[in-house]
Amino acid sequence: MRLSHGFVRGEALSCIYHGWSYARSGNCLRIPAHPGLTPPETIRVGTHAVEESDGVIWVAVGVPTAQPPRLEGVVPLRSLTAHTGVAAVEAAAGAKAGAVGLVWQAQDAQQIRLLLAPQGDEQTLIHVLLDHNSSLSQRIGASRAVERLRRAAEDLQTKGIAP
Amino acid sequence: MMQDAMIDEWYPVGLFSQLDVKGRKTALMGEPIEVALDAERRARVTCGDGRTLPVCVRYGHVWSSLGKPQKDLFAIPEADQPGRRLVDVGAIRVRCSPLRAVENFLDIAHFPFVHTDILGAEPHTEVQDYKVEIRQKEDEVWATQVKFYQPKAAKSASGGITTEYMYRVPAPTCSVLYKTCPPRPGEWDVITLFVQPLAEDLCDVWPWMALFDDVTPMTDLIHFQQTIFLQDRSILENQIPRLLPLDPGMEIPTRADLTSVAYRRWLKRHNYTYGAQLVAQ
Ligand SMILES: [Fe+2]
Repeated sequence: MRLSHGFVRGEALSCIYHGWSYARSGNCLRIPAHPGLTPPETIRVGTHAVEESDGVIWVAVGVPTAQPPRLEGVVPLRSLTAHTGVAAVEAAAGAKAGAVGLVWQAQDAQQIRLLLAPQGDEQTLIHVLLDHNSSLSQRIGASRAVERLRRAAEDLQTKGIAP
Repeated sequence: MMQDAMIDEWYPVGLFSQLDVKGRKTALMGEPIEVALDAERRARVTCGDGRTLPVCVRYGHVWSSLGKPQKDLFAIPEADQPGRRLVDVGAIRVRCSPLRAVENFLDIAHFPFVHTDILGAEPHTEVQDYKVEIRQKEDEVWATQVKFYQPKAAKSASGGITTEYMYRVPAPTCSVLYKTCPPRPGEWDVITLFVQPLAEDLCDVWPWMALFDDVTPMTDLIHFQQTIFLQDRSILENQIPRLLPLDPGMEIPTRADLTSVAYRRWLKRHNYTYGAQLVAQ
């Protein structure tokens, strides 16, 4: 069970399954099934450097050498999970992701910025960003366009066309 | 590779009350099967390759096997006790290993977090010590003297009580839970988990109950159990790795997990590995 399914209470992050909670440094603070027990130091989870910038939370894999890229002029719209790898999403969009994400020109929609985060086991988390001046109907249109993109990417994967 | 010993076990493949002559298409351990009533209104199970499979009807369900079961289906003596209501809950499809579904059923420490305000609630999170054994004569895993505070232990419960549990694993994908019976002290309510392995990472869970409860409408009893299992499903479909690890590895068991530890050890000893992962990854 990933801790991302869990909940934050005070300064601790807790697992949704059995409520084990962890401090910022990754050590286990509390095992609810055994409230009298001080969790040993060996029970800990990995930690990552985190940075918040332009409305997006960035997580570093390893030791980051630079600040996250700036995403000026766009605002976050939504995030969604595709049951496919990054390559299939790129293939469906007809563009590759660069340092500031993938710039996608959807049919019947404005330009959409996508940040693609591989989740392992053939899943990709897609963060959708739009021009900050977008109207409500443009935002709804973009949201639907990205759902179509997800379906297209998953179809490519099923048909074995994407790597 | 050694043939998995689970092939010769009995598995639930449907509710007898829902069978008809047209039949029901389903699967057992990766093989397509069909469960139907024959002309004499007896259950009949046919495999995709045309074989007629062994059948027995017990505890509301039709049971079958791809192999040759060496013994009868395990006994639940309470099923024949007068005064109990027998509840066919129906199937809940879960995208998880059948063994993970059973292990989750044996776990009480998740009650306050997954079944909040029903089977558990903070701050009553402590799991007191209980007894676990593998009974040699019956060849079953047993956990006894399990106690837990529950805000709403059953549909018939009106307030919080400390519930006592006993768990039994008589077959690799089946567990029987005995639970304090609020309207009848001295007796145990029986709640079972019968799991049909469709594939190594896909199963139909068939809960079944034998309760002392003359009051609660049947639909409410079924709905209560379905609510619980749907909460479990959201957990089970997100477990990593998908197959149940039988070798000690990344996980850190505590005293609360001793039933699970015994279950995994018992599975490994019997070479019950369908839905299991043997080498820690
Ligand atoms: Fe549960």
